[in-house]
Amino acid sequence: MDLTATAAPIVDAVRAAAAVEPVGARTHAEVGNQVRSEHATTAVGVPAGIVRHDVADLTVTVLAGTPVAVLDAALAEHRQRVPLQPRDSTATIGGVLATGLSGPTRLGDGPLRDHLLEVRFVTGYGALVRGGGPTVKNVTGYDLPRLLVGSMGTLGVLVQVTLRCRPEPGVTEWWSTASPPGELFECLFRPAAILADSRQTLVCLAGDAADVAVGRAVLRDRIAVDGACLPDGPHRGRISVPPNELGALTAALDRIDGVDRDDGTWLAEWGVGTVHVAYADAQQLAAARGIAERHGGWLLREAGGEADPSGAPFDGFGAAWSGSGTANGELHTRIKRAFDPDGKLAPGRFG
Amino acid sequence: MCFPRDAREVQAAVRAAQHHGVPFVARGSGTGLAGGATPLDDALVIVMSQMDRILEIDPRSRTAWVEPGVLNLDLSRAAAPHGLHYAPDPSSQQACSIGGNVGTNAGGPHCLASGTTTAHVLAVDAVLADGTATRIGGARPDEPGYDLRGVYVGSEGTLGVTTGVLVRLLPDPPAVRTLLLDFTSIDDAATTVSGIIAEGILPAALEMMDAQITRAVEDFVGAGYPRDAEAVLLVELDGLPDGVTAQALAIDEIGRTHGARTVRVARDEAERELLWKGRKSAFGAIARIAPDYYLHDAVVPRTQLVGVLRRIYEIAAEQRLTMMNVFHAGDGNLHPLIVFDRREPGTWERVHHAGTEILEACIAAGGVLSGEHGIGVEKRDLMGRLFSPIDLDAQARLVEAFDPSGLANPRKVLPAGSRCGELAGTRPVPEGTWI
Amino acid sequence: MNGLRMTTRGALGLDPDELVACVSCGLCLPHCPTYRVTGLELASPRGRIAAMRVVDSGAAPLDAVFVRAMDECVQCRGCEAACPSGVPFGHLMESTRAAIAPRRPRLRRFVETLGYRGVLAHHRVLVAVSWLLLVAQRLRLVPRRYAATLPRLDMRRLALRLRVPAGGTPDVWLFTGCVMDAWMRETHIAAARVVRATGARPAVPGRGGDCCGALHVHAGRTDDARRLARRVIASMPGAAPVLVDSAGCGAALRDYGHLLGTPEAAAFAARVVDISSWLAQQPPLPLRPGGGRVVVQDPCHLRHVQRDHAGVRTVLGPAYELVETDDDALCCGAGGAYAALQPALANDVRARKVAALARTGASVVCSANPGCTIHLRAAGLEVRHPVELLADALEESPR
Repeated sequence: MDLTATAAPIVDAVRAAAAVEPVGARTHAEVGNQVRSEHATTAVGVPAGIVRHDVADLTVTVLAGTPVAVLDAALAEHRQRVPLQPRDSTATIGGVLATGLSGPTRLGDGPLRDHLLEVRFVTGYGALVRGGGPTVKNVTGYDLPRLLVGSMGTLGVLVQVTLRCRPEPGVTEWWSTASPPGELFECLFRPAAILADSRQTLVCLAGDAADVAVGRAVLRDRIAVDGACLPDGPHRGRISVPPNELGALTAALDRIDGVDRDDGTWLAEWGVGTVHVAYADAQQLAAARGIAERHGGWLLREAGGEADPSGAPFDGFGAAWSGSGTANGELHTRIKRAFDPDGKLAPGRFG
Repeated sequence: MCFPRDAREVQAAVRAAQHHGVPFVARGSGTGLAGGATPLDDALVIVMSQMDRILEIDPRSRTAWVEPGVLNLDLSRAAAPHGLHYAPDPSSQQACSIGGNVGTNAGGPHCLASGTTTAHVLAVDAVLADGTATRIGGARPDEPGYDLRGVYVGSEGTLGVTTGVLVRLLPDPPAVRTLLLDFTSIDDAATTVSGIIAEGILPAALEMMDAQITRAVEDFVGAGYPRDAEAVLLVELDGLPDGVTAQALAIDEIGRTHGARTVRVARDEAERELLWKGRKSAFGAIARIAPDYYLHDAVVPRTQLVGVLRRIYEIAAEQRLTMMNVFHAGDGNLHPLIVFDRREPGTWERVHHAGTEILEACIAAGGVLSGEHGIGVEKRDLMGRLFSPIDLDAQARLVEAFDPSGLANPRKVLPAGSRCGELAGTRPVPEGTWI
Repeated sequence: MNGLRMTTRGALGLDPDELVACVSCGLCLPHCPTYRVTGLELASPRGRIAAMRVVDSGAAPLDAVFVRAMDECVQCRGCEAACPSGVPFGHLMESTRAAIAPRRPRLRRFVETLGYRGVLAHHRVLVAVSWLLLVAQRLRLVPRRYAATLPRLDMRRLALRLRVPAGGTPDVWLFTGCVMDAWMRETHIAAARVVRATGARPAVPGRGGDCCGALHVHAGRTDDARRLARRVIASMPGAAPVLVDSAGCGAALRDYGHLLGTPEAAAFAARVVDISSWLAQQPPLPLRPGGGRVVVQDPCHLRHVQRDHAGVRTVLGPAYELVETDDDALCCGAGGAYAALQPALANDVRARKVAALARTGASVVCSANPGCTIHLRAAGLEVRHPVELLADALEESPR
């Protein structure tokens, strides 16, 4: 179907509503802040479907409502992949992109924003806009695709995206090892991931079988594992710190009240600076945020948290959010106004 | 014109320009090919060449803070003792500046596997158009809010003036192998490229040169390029030794299947450097053929290479022009090169006509106007062939959000009238125009 | 090159084909010492060519700004070696300087004429002036502006005798030149020793072989240079190779074919060879290894102009641990008379070079050009000529 026709109901819905919440599988609904508006909020869904997989060019165009699992399966038939790795693969591609959450193999795959080549989205003023282009390299005009990754649906409703695929590596292995992650970061060449929790290091090696064997040989006391499990619990967050801070930060996370080192409450991505945390208690998530901020980082709420004593909800971004008065805060406000003059898209999701 | 030595002086220059309502343009080494740094309307030119210090290299986090005037190759040289390098390597890397690279989202042969400048810039210190200094992006993997860094890289100086850049450095690969494949037909070379990509091999670099450029380069460098080839492919593989060997064997086989006459492997670092020197000198070496050249930059899906290349040579024949091609084949990033002598009457017109036809052919094949040089003034008025007025309006809104004054490098990237002539905050698109 | 050729010449009389060859790609910029230290386009080869174009075409006047931009060029020709389009920048600059020369102030022209014609071209006068300079230095009578750029002469050096016959029919000619023979005669003495160690009989030029004319060409005094060139050619008849231990002189001698445009001059130019290059082609010298770490600083006139910088490494390699700088053989800022005429820029350029030399960790710098040697010594470095290092390492008792 023609994209204009596909997008028509979305355009109509955006134009008609006073407040719009773009909705996929709702797997990422708690990331950041919740949509809140004085107006009635219209949930706008997006159709699913793979529009075109150019196998030989390693690009794929999909409607944003397509579940990640569906795309993964289609690409796997051609031994290709797009490293979107949500916790729950029923998540839609649009949802993953809009929240901007990179997967645990970001060290090898690069950040999520580098996989998106072209977007078609409906702005807050009801226009279907194209940004970027379908080629793997492009500086034709402004980089709207990167602007939209992580924009939480506040600049536009993603309708269709073109993603860059990667060939499936010859061999992919996950290992649990006693080797410290910092040491592995120094000596492994292009590992797909080096993750660590308080008990072990998890390494993903991918590529040519002989190369993987070279990497494997460095791992002390290694045990093969299926993959990495992100910490789970009702109160979850994602810390982003300068990678050099990881050692000090994770040591501090182990000292949070009521946390047992063996609980596996955190998982750090070495060489990246992302730390996934999950706690049974909202106070612990708040404590983790404090630690992150003391180490030059910030914590993004992914789920849970709770209202503080004054009744305000758990802040999605914390003190790192550049509010009004800062240059970046002003830029933010003006960009938001440019794409959504009436402030109707995902109101309240940021700041 | 001014030559600031630090961010404060840049800020002072921008504020002075704002005060007098004068446009301003930042300039690095002046190696840009789309006129992005060309001053229009008597603009104040802020030359960044004196801000050329490498402020810090941190081997632990594999990052470096540099001033914008640092030359691309100087950065890699400074990182070399740590076993690191800065990946984007435009052909002009010995002369072009990092600030300029940020402006154009510069590429280079080795961006095939590792991505263009935007994938290597973590943060930018910028003076915005109103004179405010701010840091966009950061050392952290993610920043809360919109990816301002992603928007800024490649914005050709229209969103602010860069005063500092935090770049990512990559570890030097333990093994590198460079292969030279030569072909008796362009089609064979192009299908080999598609074959390599389709096979799932992602070389560090995958470059193609046609017969004429190969001969011009050979005259200049004497690297041993075959003078009688219709096309050559320069393929570089890097990584761990065994994987590199396996990939080299695979490429040898793919090449021969598609008609490669010979497959030569550089024996040592000296031979490898010589082959690359030839590739990177290509644009200068054409001055040996004619005094002027017009270099284009367009990208097409890699599956379209064969057909688009054929069309490009047809256009050249129709316009009676000498056309060469030397390009980043692995990305589908074409660089058709028209050589001419402007002193011949009527040549300019034919050159421009051919250029427009080439870009139209690329767009028709599902391509875009630029892969790494940018839009600048050169392709500004062609933007409408790729984007609808609604698309251009959205981009213009973004620019306006950064620079309401419109004084930061005006009349670049977007054609006049992109903004539909209305103020932000109102409803600019009439009912129904999205259809 | 095809297409139309312009036959008319502009205000500077430059060759239009040479001018048009520059495509403004900018690859020369990092190889230009003055651009590197100033960051100014007008102090770069690309900027200078652009200025030449507008002045030559009459679009801009030949004014003080233009003259200054041309004077600030060291003429190291590092840009030429880097230029993929083969722009003959050296010739463009020499032609431009020749066009500027008649417009210089009268006093400057008079002093220059005296220096270039009266002193450099007459060896005995130069030696006499050198003694006067030495006395002036002892009496602290040299203006501060020049004190830092001129070498501090010493009596012992000026009094050294070079025991090599003049004229005749030697196996090789040893060209001695003007300034170098007056101020750095120990280099020629070492050169003669090393040449003799190969078994060859050297001779210095007969009458008239005083000065190669390189400084005259750089200053745009082409007619003076031609007169000197004819004298030099006549002073070394026959077919014997002409060995040169000064890179600046060597470059000038090898360009005589272009300067004079005669077959005779071209034949002479073909006989000229840098002494290290010549030694590299002889049977290996008996050298003692373990001579320590030496950083090779290629003179621009050897590397960029003669493109002949491999020989020095071949001959010194067996005796010394050779190291290289990491600055792409950028110029040191000496540039013949440049260090004296543009002291501030020359010192900035040198500071960059000194830092690059220091990074190599070598305590001895090896340079095959008197200008570079004087300039770098003035910054406190120990600078030796390759033949001096070779003479030190020869397996024979010093004479």
